[in-house]
This record gives sequence, C-alpha cells and structure tokens, in this order.
Amino acid sequence: MSKKSEEKSFIKGLGWCGFGVGSNSASVDVKDGKVIRIRPFHFDDEYAPEDMKPWKIKARGKVFEPTMKSLLPPFSIAYKKRTYSPNRIPYPLKRVDWDPNGERNPQNRGKSKFVRISWDEATDLVASELERVQKKYGPLSVLAQADGHGDTKCIHGPHGCQTKLLNIMGGYTLQARNPDSWEGWYWGAKHVWGQDPVGQGNQNNLWQDVAKNTGMLLYWGCDQETNTWGWSGQQASRLSYWFTELGIRSIYICPDLNYAAAVHADKWIPVNPNTDAALQFAIAYTWIKEDIYDKEYLATHAHGFDEFKKYVVGEVDGIAKTPEWAAPLCGVPSRTIKALAREWAEVATTIVHCNGGSFIRSTYSSEPGRLEICLLGMQGLGKPGRNQLKMIEWGLFGMDSQVPHPRAEVIPNASGAYNGMFSDMPQQFIPKTLIPEAILSDTQISWHGTTLNSSPREDQFIEYKYPIDDGGTEIHMIWTDTPCWTTCWNGGNKMIEALRSPKIEFVLAQHPWLENDCLFADILLPINTKLEEEDFSVDQFSGQFHQVFYEGQCMEPLFESKSDYEAVCEVAKKLGLYEEYTKGKSVEEMIQSGYQVCGIADKISYEEFRKKQYYVVPTAEGWEDDPAGFEPFCQDPESSPLQTPTGKLEYFSTELAEYFPDDEERKPVPQWIPYGESHSESLLHPRSEKYPFLIVSNHPRWRVHANMDDFTWLREIETCKVRGADGYMYEPVWINPIDADKLGIVNGDIVKVLNDRGMVLGGAYVTERIIPGTVYQDHGARLDLIVPGECDRGGANNLIAPGQIMSKNCAGEVTSGYLVDVEKADINELKAN
Amino acid sequence: MKVFVINIDKCVGCHGCQVGCKDEHCGNDWSPYAKPQPEIGQFWIKVNQQERGAKPHVKVTYFPVLCQHCDNAPCIKAGRGAVYKREDGLVLIDPDKAKGMKQLVDSCPYHAIYWNEQEQLPQKCTGCAHLLDGDHPISVPRCFDNCQVGAILFGEESEMDLQGTEIFHPEYGTKPRVYYRGLPKRFVAGTIYDPAAKEVIIGARCTLNSVDGKVAAIAETNNYGDFWLRNLPEDDFTLTVTAGKKTKILNVSTKEMDIGLGDVPLA
Ligand SMILES: Nc1nc2c(c(=O)[nH]1)N[C@H]1C(S)=C(S)[C@@H](COP(=O)(O)OP(=O)(O)OC[C@H]3O[C@@H](n4cnc5c(=O)[nH]c(N)nc54)[C@H](O)[C@@H]3O)O[C@H]1N2
Ligand SMILES: Nc1nc2c(c(=O)[nH]1)N[C@H]1C(S)=C(S)[C@@H](COP(=O)(O)OP(=O)(O)OC[C@H]3O[C@@H](n4cnc5c(=O)[nH]c(N)nc54)[C@H](O)[C@@H]3O)O[C@H]1N2
Ligand code: SF4
Ligand code: SF4
Ligand code: SF4
Ligand SMILES: [Ca+2]
Ligand SMILES: [Ca+2]
Ligand SMILES: [Mo+4]
Repeated sequence: MSKKSEEKSFIKGLGWCGFGVGSNSASVDVKDGKVIRIRPFHFDDEYAPEDMKPWKIKARGKVFEPTMKSLLPPFSIAYKKRTYSPNRIPYPLKRVDWDPNGERNPQNRGKSKFVRISWDEATDLVASELERVQKKYGPLSVLAQADGHGDTKCIHGPHGCQTKLLNIMGGYTLQARNPDSWEGWYWGAKHVWGQDPVGQGNQNNLWQDVAKNTGMLLYWGCDQETNTWGWSGQQASRLSYWFTELGIRSIYICPDLNYAAAVHADKWIPVNPNTDAALQFAIAYTWIKEDIYDKEYLATHAHGFDEFKKYVVGEVDGIAKTPEWAAPLCGVPSRTIKALAREWAEVATTIVHCNGGSFIRSTYSSEPGRLEICLLGMQGLGKPGRNQLKMIEWGLFGMDSQVPHPRAEVIPNASGAYNGMFSDMPQQFIPKTLIPEAILSDTQISWHGTTLNSSPREDQFIEYKYPIDDGGTEIHMIWTDTPCWTTCWNGGNKMIEALRSPKIEFVLAQHPWLENDCLFADILLPINTKLEEEDFSVDQFSGQFHQVFYEGQCMEPLFESKSDYEAVCEVAKKLGLYEEYTKGKSVEEMIQSGYQVCGIADKISYEEFRKKQYYVVPTAEGWEDDPAGFEPFCQDPESSPLQTPTGKLEYFSTELAEYFPDDEERKPVPQWIPYGESHSESLLHPRSEKYPFLIVSNHPRWRVHANMDDFTWLREIETCKVRGADGYMYEPVWINPIDADKLGIVNGDIVKVLNDRGMVLGGAYVTERIIPGTVYQDHGARLDLIVPGECDRGGANNLIAPGQIMSKNCAGEVTSGYLVDVEKADINELKAN
Repeated sequence: MKVFVINIDKCVGCHGCQVGCKDEHCGNDWSPYAKPQPEIGQFWIKVNQQERGAKPHVKVTYFPVLCQHCDNAPCIKAGRGAVYKREDGLVLIDPDKAKGMKQLVDSCPYHAIYWNEQEQLPQKCTGCAHLLDGDHPISVPRCFDNCQVGAILFGEESEMDLQGTEIFHPEYGTKPRVYYRGLPKRFVAGTIYDPAAKEVIIGARCTLNSVDGKVAAIAETNNYGDFWLRNLPEDDFTLTVTAGKKTKILNVSTKEMDIGLGDVPLA
C-alpha cells in the first residue's frame, strides 16, 4: 500500500550550547506546515564515505568508528515540544500595573498579570523608555543580560542581539558571565597548569591515547549519560562502552550513582559533596608515604612540589592528610582511598569529566580544581594514557587542542552568520554572580577579574568596580534575553529582591516561553523557536563528523512571535537605527557570509553547498600521529612549556603568592578549606546543626538548565518528576532510605528543602543511588512561586543557593554542595498559606 | 518475518525509543494503522527501570518493553477480528473495528495495550507499520532508529543473529517476536576488608553455594576488595569468603532482590 507521503525534510542543529556552537544535526520531516517527526540525520545522504574519510581508531585488536547517522539525544527528538509548548509567549505583553507615565509598581513584579499589546505599541514603549532612561542616567544605565545557552541559532542569535543596538546608542552595562561551567578549573587549575582560556586539560588525540594506553579511567564527577545530551548527543555512550570492551576499568567518584555510573561503572566510590579535596590530599599522602609517585617527572616538570608535600604530610599545619584523616570528611573508607591510590600508581590512569561536576561549582572550588592537576602531575601527566579527558565540548572555541577524537580538516565555525554575543567588552560590566548585590547595594562594589571565560589568567589579578570610577552610573533598566537568572544562578531569592527594586524602572524581556525571570518583566516580547526560522549552522561537538548546513524554515512562526534578531530589528526601526543595525544585510546575505568564513569555502562552491544543503568535513590525514594531550610537555618541558609563569606545573603558585599574599581562601599551595570567611557550607560548621544535609544540585538529566522543563513526554519518566498526592509533578529529591526513615519520609512524599535563604519543594525519591547525609535535586526547574523570594513549589533550588561568590577573590558561583534541611511537607498547611 | 532484538546489557536508559515513539504517534494520525497516541499516559514502548543492590554496589537496569507481536497472541483471540497479524509478523489493532473494545487491554499479559478514553480505543505499538509500508523519509521503526547504542535491533528474522537470545515470560506461551539479550538475573556483590589492618582484601575467594551444596558462582576480590557474582537464579545461598586462614560464611537470598552487601569485615 505504498503511497507518496509528501513529507519534506530539513536539516536543523538541535543542540543547546548556543553561542553559534552547533551539534545534534537532525532531520525534520514536515508536511503542510506541520512538523511530523524529528529523527537522526544521515551524513551519507549526499556524500559517499570516500568524501568524508571516516576515521577508525584501532586499539587492542578492536576498532571504533563514527556512525553514518547522527546520535541524537532524546531532547532533540522531542524538540517539537518546544515549538508547540503551551507556555509560548504568543504576543507582546505588558504588566498590568506598570505605567511608564505614572506608577511603575516595581514591588509587584512577579505578582501581577500581563495584558496583550501589539508589536507596534510594545516597540513604541521600548524605544521611548530606552531613550528616556539613557538621557536621564546615561547610556550605561541599561543592563544587558545577553548571555546564556539555549537554542543554537546563528543569524537569529538567541543572546546578545540587543548589545549591538545598545552600542550604536552609546553603550550599556554588560552582565559579564562568569566561567560558570569551569569555575574550579578557571580559578584554581589555571594557577597550576595554565591552560587558558578555561583551565581544563589539552584534549588532543586522547581517544586514541586512552584506547591504546590507559588501564583505569576515573570518572570524577562525570555523568556522560546526562551532560552530553545538551551538547553533543550520544557518541559518549558508545565511547564508554568501547573503553569497557577494551578492558579499561571505569571508576566513578560521585555522591550520587549518576546515570553513567548506573550503567557503566565497574566501581562506584561515593564521596560527600564538595569534600573531594580531602580525598585528593589523602591520595597524595598515600603516594608520598608509600613512595609510589613519579619523582623524576616532578624534578623536571614541577615548581614548588616540596611546599605542597610539606602541607600534605602535615609540616605546615600539624595535620597529616592521611586516609584516616580524610575518611570521616569525605565519607570514603581509608582502605578504599589507599586501594585507589595504589591502583592509580600502578596502572596508567586518565581522569574523565564532562565539566567536572558540581564540586567545581561549590565553595572554594579552586582547591579541588587545582588538586586534581597536582595529582595528575604526581603520576606523570602526559605520559601514555595519563591525561584529563573530556566527554563534552569537543573542539571548544574551535581549538584543535580541545579535540580528543580524530581531527577533521577544519573545525567549522558560524561566526560569519552569527548575530548573538556582544562584540567589544564595554567599559562598565558586572559579574553575573554579583548582579543582585550590585543592584541592591548603595555603594560601589569591587571584585577581581572580568570573570569572562575568555580572559587570560592574569586578568584575575585586576580589580574592577561598579559603577566605574570614570563616568560610571547605576543601572535603571534591564534588557534581558536570558530570563532565567533566578533558577540558574547563585542565590535566586536575592535576585527576586533586586528585580523588584525601585531603582529598576523598566524590565524588558524577550523569550519564547513565559517562565522564570519573565514573570518579573514589565514588557515581554514573543520569540520563536528554531523550526520557525531560516538559518545557517555548523555541527562541531558531536564527535562523529564536523559539518556545515543550511537550515530551512520548517513552518510559519506561531502566533506573533519573531526571532531575537528580528525583535531587536523592530526596536531599531522605532529608533530610526534599522539600517545602521542591520548594515543593510538580508538573511540570504548572512547565510552567504556564514558560508564564506566558516572554513569550507575552498572545498565546495556556494551553489553546490545550497543544493546539497550540507557539507561534511573530511577527517584530516595523519591524525594518528598527532601528539596526545600533554605528551609534548611531558617529553620536553623546556621546548613545550605550560603557560604558567615558570612554564611548569606550579604546586606553589608564584602569582597567587605575589598578588594575593594574604588570601586565606586561596593560598599559593592548595588547601583543605571546609569553611572560611566567605562561607559556612560544611558539615563541620555549626550551621549544620540546623541544616544537616548537603545538597547536590547537578545539571538536569531531563532538561538543559532552564530549558525543556515543560516537555510532557519527559515529565512522565520516573526520574524526571514525582507525582505528589496533590497531583502536582514535583522535582525529585533523592534521599537515602536511612535518612528517609529517620525523617518519616516515604517515596512520593512532598518534601521541603530549606535553609536560611528560603525553601523549595520537591518529590521524595527514596533510593540507594544517593548516600546518607546528602540529598540531590537537579537544578533549573521552572519557577512556581508560592511566596516570591521565600518559597517555591517548582523546586528551583538555585533560589536558596548561597549568594556569595566562591571565595574572597574568585567571583565564581556556588550552586551545589551547600547546607539544607529536609522535612516532610504538609500539603494542607502549604495550601492554607 | 520481522523481529525485534533488544539487548538489555547495552541499554543506557536514554528513553530515546520511548520519546521517539511519541514523536511519531502523538498528534500524528496514521490511520488505518493507528489513531494518534494521546500526549501522555501511553507507552507503546516503555523503558522500565530497576534499581538493584545497595550502596555502593548499585546498578540500574533499563528494560524496554513493547508489544511482543506474538505469534500466538491472546489479543487476537480476544479481538474477534479487530486485531490481526500481518504477513510480516506484526500484530496490529484495527482502529475502526476495535472501537469500544476495552477488554483488549486486559487480554495482553505483557500490559502492552493501553486504553484511549477520548477515542474509546485500545491502542498499542504498530511496529511503525506505516513507515515500513509507506513512502516516508524513513522506513524503519522509530524506536529502532533512535537507539544510538544498538540496544534495539529490528529486521528480518532470517537475517538476525538470534543465538543466545531469550524471550520474556516464555511461560505465557504467546510466542513473542521480540527477543531479548541480558534479561536481568540476580547478583550478589560486596567489598571484603580486614578491619584490623584497615585494608581491603585482594584475592579473597568468594564462593556461593546453593542449599544443595552445589557451587553456583565463584569469584575473587579485585584490587578494591570487590567481588561481583552475577547471573544468579532467585534462590537461597550460602556465601563463603576465604582469605588466607580467615573464613566467613553468610546466608544470602536472591529470592526477593539483588544483594549489595556493602563492606564485609573478614576478621
Ligand atoms: N544548581 C546549579 N546551578 C547551576 C549549575 C549547577 O551545576 N548547579 N551550573 C551552572 C552552569 S555550568 C550554567 S552553563 C548555567 C546555565 O545557565 P544559562 O545559560 O543561563 O541557562 P539556560 O537555561 O541554558 O539558558 C538561558 C535562557 O535562554 C533561554 N533561551 C533558550 N533559547 C532561547 C532563544 O532562542 N531565545 C531567547 N531569547 N532565549 C532562549 C532559556 O529558556 C533560558 O531562559 O547554570 C549554572 N547554574
Ligand atoms: N542534560 C544536560 N546536559 C548538559 C547540561 C544540562 O543542563 N543538561 N548543561 C551543560 C553545561 S552548561 C555544562 S557546564 C555541563 C556540565 O557538566 P558537569 O559539570 O560534568 O555536570 P554536573 O551535572 O554539574 O555534574 C556531573 C556529575 O558530578 C557529580 N558530582 C556532583 N557533586 C559532586 C561532588 O561534590 N564531588 C564529586 N566527585 N562529584 C560530584 C554528580 O554525579 C554529577 O552527575 O553539562 C552540559 N550538558
Ligand atoms: S504482546 Fe500483547 S498486544 Fe502484543 S501481540 Fe502479544 S498479546 Fe497482543
Ligand atoms: S515500533 Fe513504532 S510504534 Fe512500536 S514501539 Fe517502536 S516506535 Fe513505537
Ligand atoms: S533508545 Fe536504546 S539505549 Fe535508549 S532507552 Fe531505548 S533501548 Fe535503551
Ligand atoms: Ca548599587
Ligand atoms: Ca548494563
Ligand atoms: Mo555550563
């Protein structure tokens, strides 16, 4: 009964990194303007294998190679839920009690409702408010929240389109995004091994190196069955199986039996949240005591190892960092620490991460971040099979040094068609972690480092201020295209207070869905999703083939939505700046310039590219002989030095000693710091009597941060939401049966997670997958406020994360590994409130 | 004749099959093969999850179950003409003829049939027959296409490797066309240590004996002091741990669940 289906197929990159960094190439089948299905893309539709030169890694008699089909994660397959979400903002909206000519009622943000207005009225209001605020307070009084992940669009760049318009208008204040993904590496590891920009290790050719040489993989805070989904699909699942097939042992160190450990682990070593430093010190101690570390290597590759050694053995503070010392702190039995240390000294070991896990986003994360490098050094970093391997962000920043798989001829980039991101660093900026403090404080604030993840290490030593001394001004308007600060950053309840400050006269948000910070906006502009836009994109994260593609428009925009770029264009028109803003370029012209600079123009003509709709970049000849990771440094530290001041692994940081000699929270030699001047988030601190649990708040398995919390097809999965007795779908809170018993909690109960910063609810998920004394709830749940600033039903635990930065001179976030209490909730009592 | 082969040992629990099935069938009307699947509540393929063992010896097994496309299908008998078997072996519910036949839901011992209240229809996996037959851009089942680790295979029975596969619930006698590898069997695991020396014991011999004395499984502890005894039946056992002159005997039962013993001192 064969019949022509009349379905037309489009290519779309359905990854969530954003910033023009694409992945998850998908085929979208469309009929009569309706999206029928989304399925894996076939690289060989238009090209023969000879054109693509698929790579083959051969090791121990086995072969690993790419599939001809993209390895889509469930998020991409379900993408149409994003487009057809009932939470879409259909039309421009205005808060009912915000009157630009009268009462603005900032205190009602997050409480009062919205009314529909036309695009014409909305852009009139935006244009006149922009002009008024800038005239009254100066251009820097407008804060652009213009960063963030989410849909990977290029021409329609989801974040930052407004900054280019504001630049034309004389400037703005930038929300400078801290290196949130890499805090511990950025503020810590960089001082040991350099590794600008973000502080993680060299990845060159590491798949082959591990396959051939590694005996043990330490997945240290790594869940490649979760964190790959937002970025790169499921190549990591295949790779993990292959490593196991080769006989490489997989050890997982994490407080929760995460989703990768659940299926791939040969051993799970549970550790208390953010106590990894104790475990790391005890490993170093065992090596020193048993004399099983690489002294010859350290003699030529390390600076200040003796200082480090003194601290480890207890010559500095009288405390020998023995396994027996560490065991009660980190929860790992001393015998297991010793067994791990000995095994590591015996077989070539590589540490595996996605980005490191929540311990690199907690208090004093600089310490475990740099301790890891210290340990790698003690076993000969860069020797065969001994490196730090990443399971995501392959080819980050288009850098070959970040590619662990066989290298392609070029890493394509979408910069020629990309309209997101700010272009030049503005004079005045505020670290994202300090936004609430900046708004709420009546005095100037200061910190160190721009905090931008592209900044070199030396930038951490520069002091910056807000408002700037010369021509600075406080902010009075916010223009956000990233309205999820509350559920994604540090201390969201304080952000709610800031968003309601009378200092902020106008909050403009542009977003596809009515959620999170959108609730606090005065005007909302409706944005559309990828399926409704025509675009140009690249796939550079998937670990199969790099490719470049044209993205056709699958359907008409729903309701009155426009793309982020188009929305800013509408505002520009009202300001008479449209021509200047667009530089007269059409979408078609932007696709062409995307093609021209992406790196393939010498390989395929534009006509052929458009005809085939994509181009697969072939594997580079000779990739097999590329050096592996830190191999060059290992072989000759003089000719291939690290980027540190001494060119060596700095166990004693020469620069921290020079610039921050008095910083007790980040000394030249890494320390064990359970609590200190900035934080009290430790079970060793008296505050833990009141809040006796540590919370682990991972990147969500069933979301990408704030994205996709409303996917019905995911919400019905057992580990995605817990249906409470009241029928509400609560964000799961994992509790060990021992704790659940003590608290009188059973599976499915509604529970409160609370501390002195507020309370969020969750659904109890009682499981052996979490250790006693620790609870786990993913981050990024959609706000469902009971009392704004105090209590949330959705389980957005960032609301109650510490507001303070990571440590005195590190303006990073603390969003996991902090103290909470857990109680069974009485739903009737809550309803009464 | 078509078959599915599902390898539980390979499944990573991504739910790509379950979600892909919904992408194909929710909101899409593939009559006469099937009416749309409701937004939520039906799982034509369901990834069941089993958490096994106790900290730190815990594993999660994911177990995808779909209509078994039985050759001796109780639903066909109960369907009185509304449920039929195709020449390729797939079993389909005819949405026109099956209207109102709620009893079909209970006819399936695998719980693979769901009731669509709004349409008054029993519904289930169609094997994506519309894709196999039609001229769509894809001609294989969505669950198979979306399984990135090859845990679900689909194809001609004659071309598939069925060696070593099992069927799920053979006692139902329905002759499924879905074959499994790695159907979960019990495990007993633990870590052996010497409490005086504060060290794990490497190379301790762990022997599991059935009640009748037969050796059911045997393993030595590894460099972490861990042993894993896998592929066990549901039964009562004695576990004998021996290292040097020290021996310990424990009674363990896998009748109810897998056993993670945690840290076991051998003094
Ligand atoms: N508890 C806890 N918190 C954490 C972390 C943690 O480990 N634990 N990790 C931190 C890390 S590493 C990160 S990267 C951050 C993530 O923080 P963000 O990058 O801020 O989070 P996202 O939710 O990915 O995206 C930002 C916003 O963009 C929106 N968006 C998506 N597509 C579009 C679009 O096309 N147009 C517009 N205008 N908006 C769009 C999303 O809906 C969302 O509101 O969270 C940090 N917070
Ligand atoms: N599905 C999905 N994928 C994503 C994202 C997402 O939101 N959702 N976000 C993307 C982004 S922006 C980033 S930065 C990366 C993040 O990648 P990661 O930083 O690797 O992710 P996390 O989820 O924070 O942590 C990974 C694992 O660390 C372990 N862990 C937590 N706390 C501790 C601890 O104190 N000590 C130790 N040893 N282990 C711990 C947990 O087992 C957790 O599963 O993921 C990216 N990919
Ligand atoms: S599994 Fe159930 S529904 Fe499927 S053929 Fe067998 S009896 Fe019928
Ligand atoms: S074969 Fe098709 S209908 Fe059946 S479970 Fe798989 S995707 Fe669903
Ligand atoms: S798609 Fe494959 S790996 Fe994923 S849950 Fe289904 S069977 Fe398992
Ligand atoms: Ca201020
Ligand atoms: Ca398995
Ligand atoms: Mo991140």
